Formats: sequence, structure tokens, C-alpha cells
Amino acid sequence: MTFETQVKLAIYGAFAEDGRAPSAQAIAVALGVSYEDVVAAFAKLRTDRVLFLEPDGRTIRMAPPFSGVPTQHRVRVGGVEYFANCGWDALGIPAALRRAGIVSSRCEQSGEPLTLAVAQDGPEPSPFVFHSLVRASSWWDDLVFT
Amino acid sequence: MLFFRSEDLVKAWCEARGVAPNPCVRLDQLWTLATAWYGTRLTPESKRPSPAEMRGIFASVGLSGPFWDPEARG
Repeated sequence: MTFETQVKLAIYGAFAEDGRAPSAQAIAVALGVSYEDVVAAFAKLRTDRVLFLEPDGRTIRMAPPFSGVPTQHRVRVGGVEYFANCGWDALGIPAALRRAGIVSSRCEQSGEPLTLAVAQDGPEPSPFVFHSLVRASSWWDDLVFT
Repeated sequence: MLFFRSEDLVKAWCEARGVAPNPCVRLDQLWTLATAWYGTRLTPESKRPSPAEMRGIFASVGLSGPFWDPEARG
């Protein structure tokens, strides 16, 4: 396993544990490696489109489907509350954890709340739809907007 | 990438912003995309789908054309 993969798994493990983005220092301590090596791995993972970092290059904004900052897309799984980056990622969190969950979001036009039960084999029937302004080829041009 | 109660509300939201609506995705389709993208994300073997794999995943739920093509330009 490459070092970057070890760092990636540590990041995702931390998100899965408590729904919050780990710091580079916390990853360094968990893996018993240097902070500088972890920051370098973060940069590689950003290049590989596994992570999205804040401008400081060392703070995790997104490890899709998890968000490192609060958003309107919340997912509760097993007593832990997670934030998703978008509607797609809201379903991606139960998919990644392979556990049932409850997605809470809203209709962007009407404001009507969306509360969606997601089982391990998919969401309950719902009239809600998903819409993206950004075509697939441009998602990573401005990932926060996407 | 947002949720809407109906396609009519998508159209209203886009109209208010002067942008053209894109194809809507049902939640059962979105679940297929979510599991394809993230179902192995917590494992050592996980990787982002390649562009060809993305096209195949989109096509499997009936999404095709330039909007869903990860390599489309223009």
C-alpha cells in the first residue's frame, strides 16, 4: 500500500468515526509519520482528485462524499451526524459507510424540507429530484460551486 | 448539485437565475451513481472512476450526452 493510500484511509477513517475532518497533525500522529510528509500526501491526493483542500494546502475542505465544513446536506448514520458536499454526496455517505441513514436537506426553490430514509440498498421512494448546473467535465473547475 | 421537490421547481429556480435547466436525476438513479462513486471509498482498493467508466455508469442509468461526458469540451 502506498503512503498516500495510508493517508487517504486514515482521513476517511477519521471522517467515518465522528463526521469531522481530521487535521494533518492528527493524521501524522495516527500514522506515526512527520507532519510534512502528511501535507505532501495531501497535495498528491488533491492532484488525484481524492481531496479538496482549503487555500492553505493543509486543511481538508472535502473528502468526497464528506464535507469538512457544515452544509445544508446532513446525514445521520448510527448516531453520528455527517455533512455532505451536495445532494449526490448526501446519498454517497450511506453508500460509503455501507449503512442505513437519514438524509436531511431541502428543496432549493421552495425550501420544503427533505427527510429521506436511505437503506443499505437505496433510498425510499421520493418525488424529489437532483439537478446540477455544472456539466461533468467541469465539476473540478470550481468544486465548491459545483 | 441540489435537491428539488419537482422538475417544475427546478425550472422555476433556473428561470429566476437566467440559466437553462439541465437534465434532472431521480433519486433511484442518484443512488446508483452514489454507490458507483463511493461504495468502496473507505477501502484500500478504491479509486475514482476513469472517464470511460464514468460514461458507462451514467449510461447504465440512462444519462448520456455532452452534459454527462466527463471529457466533453465547449
